[in-house]
Amino acid sequence: MLGRVVRVAVVVAILGLVVTLALAFRRDPHDIKTGTVNKPAPAFTLQRLDGSGEVSLADLSGKVVVVNFFASWCLPCTQENPALVRVYERYRGSDVVLLGVNLQETRENGLAYVKRMGMNWPTLADDDGRVALSYGVYGPPETFFIGPDGIIAGRHIGPISEETLVTGIEKLRGQAVSR
Amino acid sequence: MNRRIAIAVALLALAAALLLAARPHEVTADERIDQITTEIRCPVCQGLSVKDSTSETARQMRDLVTQRVREGKSDAEIEAEFRAAYGDWIFLSPPVTSWSGLVWLVPIAALAAGLVLVTGRLRSTDTPPVAAPSPTEVAALRERVAREEAAEG
Amino acid sequence: MSAGDLGAAALRAALFLSLWGTGASIYAAWRRDARALASARIAAGVGFGLVVIAALSMMFALATHDFSILYVAENNARETPTFYSIISLWAALEGSILLWTAILAGATAFIAFRGTRAIPRLATTALAVMFSMLTFFLLLITTPAADPFARLALAPDNGNGPNALLQNHPLMALHPPLLYLGYVLTSVPFAYAIASLILGEGGDRWLVATRRFALISWALLGVGIVAGAWWSYAVLGWGGYWAWDPVENAAIMPWLTSTAYLHSVMVEEKRSLLRTWNLALVVATFALTILGTFLTRSGVVNSVHSFSLSAIGPLLLGYLVAILVLSVGLLLWRSARLRDAGPIGAPLSREAIFLFQNVLFMAATLTVLLGTLYPLVAEAISGAQLSIGGPYFDRVEIPLALALLFLMGVGPQLPWHGASRATLERQFTAPIVAAALGALAALVTGTTALAAVLTYALGAFVIATVVQEFARGVRARRTLHGEGGLTAFANLLRRSGRRYGGYVVHLGIVLVALAVATSQARTIDAEQTLAPGETLVVAGYTVRLDAIRPVSEPQRDSIVADLVITGNGANEHLRPALVQYPNSAAAVGSPGIGAGLRDDLYTILAAYDQRTFSWATIRMRVIPGVSWLWLGGAVVGIGALIAALPVPKRRTVRMPVAEVAVSAK
Repeated sequence: MLGRVVRVAVVVAILGLVVTLALAFRRDPHDIKTGTVNKPAPAFTLQRLDGSGEVSLADLSGKVVVVNFFASWCLPCTQENPALVRVYERYRGSDVVLLGVNLQETRENGLAYVKRMGMNWPTLADDDGRVALSYGVYGPPETFFIGPDGIIAGRHIGPISEETLVTGIEKLRGQAVSR
Repeated sequence: MNRRIAIAVALLALAAALLLAARPHEVTADERIDQITTEIRCPVCQGLSVKDSTSETARQMRDLVTQRVREGKSDAEIEAEFRAAYGDWIFLSPPVTSWSGLVWLVPIAALAAGLVLVTGRLRSTDTPPVAAPSPTEVAALRERVAREEAAEG
Repeated sequence: MSAGDLGAAALRAALFLSLWGTGASIYAAWRRDARALASARIAAGVGFGLVVIAALSMMFALATHDFSILYVAENNARETPTFYSIISLWAALEGSILLWTAILAGATAFIAFRGTRAIPRLATTALAVMFSMLTFFLLLITTPAADPFARLALAPDNGNGPNALLQNHPLMALHPPLLYLGYVLTSVPFAYAIASLILGEGGDRWLVATRRFALISWALLGVGIVAGAWWSYAVLGWGGYWAWDPVENAAIMPWLTSTAYLHSVMVEEKRSLLRTWNLALVVATFALTILGTFLTRSGVVNSVHSFSLSAIGPLLLGYLVAILVLSVGLLLWRSARLRDAGPIGAPLSREAIFLFQNVLFMAATLTVLLGTLYPLVAEAISGAQLSIGGPYFDRVEIPLALALLFLMGVGPQLPWHGASRATLERQFTAPIVAAALGALAALVTGTTALAAVLTYALGAFVIATVVQEFARGVRARRTLHGEGGLTAFANLLRRSGRRYGGYVVHLGIVLVALAVATSQARTIDAEQTLAPGETLVVAGYTVRLDAIRPVSEPQRDSIVADLVITGNGANEHLRPALVQYPNSAAAVGSPGIGAGLRDDLYTILAAYDQRTFSWATIRMRVIPGVSWLWLGGAVVGIGALIAALPVPKRRTVRMPVAEVAVSAK
């Protein structure tokens, strides 16, 4: 009887192993989902890279806020930059705010990068990385979509396309209108 | 008798040494920081802890832990802060609760099951002591050896 | 004909021969046909030669920078030094599978020529199994799945160069080949086991025939793993040697089951028990090597070794499933013939200790398997993502390892069938005293963590038992053969190599355990930003930064920090660096290591002033005892060699009857 139990256990275990490994093909090991999505966006007050003052997230409540974490040493950031520029131009002057947060470098380097890439939206310095940590940032480039209600509606890891940006923004604007 | 004394003394000394090593002692702030940073995963590395990694992200996380420890926050509070931002993924050891508790349960269960299986296959009685051969048996053995020697030539 | 054409043609010819060999050996075993066997032998021999030619062709193509071959374009550059060009054969997927196939072909040829002369029918059936496995791997490397000789329509001027981490250290020449030899040679006991099951043999012939192969593959796998740990330590630059990375886990799992197997076969040899279990262990070991290859190559886990997702994943999974279904099916079918006669033995016998040891090794293996795969399972089922890393594995594996250390000391001291109270007292007095002394030694040297003190105590315990065994053996030889002490010692190793070589292996394991315990318990870290001329003091060592300077070489640019370390009798000049290879996005950290018998001084250049080199962030790690790890690995290898060597032929010894009478008193 014990022999039968052992046999069944072995067969079940092997089946389990095979099913597990087959399932594993469905996931991309680079896609990390958990974090701060659907939670209130952590508040922050950061200085602008060019030293011209501060920006507080609290002042922007009621607006759609897109926070993009970037750095000059991050190659994919240069790849996504044109999309950000186009989206900024499109929503300029509306209730959509684009913020850039510079990570893990000196303000000089960050400012030089911003000027070179034509980033005309407010770019802020996260010197000690605390804001990035509070948002659960894995590494630049990462983009967060914060709704008018102050909740993080979505987050994109890796270089972002114009399409994704616009879709995310429009969904949140639709929310604001229906309120 | 001497052997038994030696064994007893040695076991006592061993127990004392182990108790000394295991005694609970006041954990310093540095040790707390070490313990916590060993458990936190560096997000930009391959499975390294924040303590081991030399990346900038890891350094910033270490600084955050250090600051919180100095502020007097408990281990649970610090871990909660990281969990709120990154989820359970940020810890290198899965929590004992819910689904992931299985990884703690299974090794123990497997060990127990294995031990049960093995002890079931063992005889419970001790082996009977083997007596020394009697003089008649020795004589018979000698005769046999002599015969075989002669046969070999 | 270029090297690439030659290699590709050789592989395709080898595939054809392997198919022929499979058919011929099946027919030879089935019909006991000598001519079919002869043709299978030729197929094996020529096939092996062809695969070797293919491997050499690839090495030639790499050394001569033939970028018309895709593999060379991706893994080699004109600036790559010749040494690293050649060893790039195993730098990436396709070349690694080629190396694997070459070793497998060699093992197949060996069985074809040596094995089949010894036990014709069993070995011929095993040969058929080997040929079918060889065919699978040859199919992999002759199809787009993993064809190393795939061509580029337009050859680029210069190639990518090898991955930065793979051309930083000469150990790259050692670690993969050793590991692959260990992996592939486990297929030999597996093939014989399957053959034994297919033929319905109830005996132990397969086991005896493959004993040496099992030992050699175990030793190579173990040494390969230690070489990998050394590589991780010297190249990856994080200051550790084992991170429970999925690919590291993939290598250690078959090693664990292989170790269990080496011991439980002794029970089968001595007492003809545990047949089904040993067969299952062999199957498990082999299956785990395939699982390991799958995990390394398929891209399903994120790891240091991760390569991009490729079609080879599903193929390897299919192969693994086929092997498991076949083996388990055969085992279940034949299990009736293999049943054990009765109970194994008394609780305090060597058999029992081996059984407990097996249970512990299985629990250890299961833990590693579960820990590695669980994140995949959890995410597939519930979408939740969790990490299972060092802290989890340490918590479960360290107690298991300590228990195994204990059994390692107890097992060899207990006789087969059972021990009496008097025996126990006699055998274990000295070891227990040694254990107490070991614990005290730990405390005295400042190693106060509980696990470390236990390791020292158990390590001393095992050392004492080994010394006792050697002393007893030497004494016996002196009485019986009148040999001098040293001669007796040498003869113990020569004539009873299996046993005493095994004891040497145990000593090596103790060294490894002590190294791990000491380095984990007493490593001290310090990090500081220094300007040239400034110093950092840690654990009695003074680290002075002399300069930070750029160094340019054809294949890479580095920033080097010149450090001088004094104190505690040391005087080291170390040069940790950050190395930038053209094909890599980020710089690779290269540690500066001052190795010592007591401490290793491990320095890392963490950051530096990129504009004026006016400062550098230096991390200094003082790691006690880590050198014993490499020493221990070497001792394990030597012990395995002693155990694997054939025993010199016995001379008959004549003993006069009078001497027998005296010793019988």
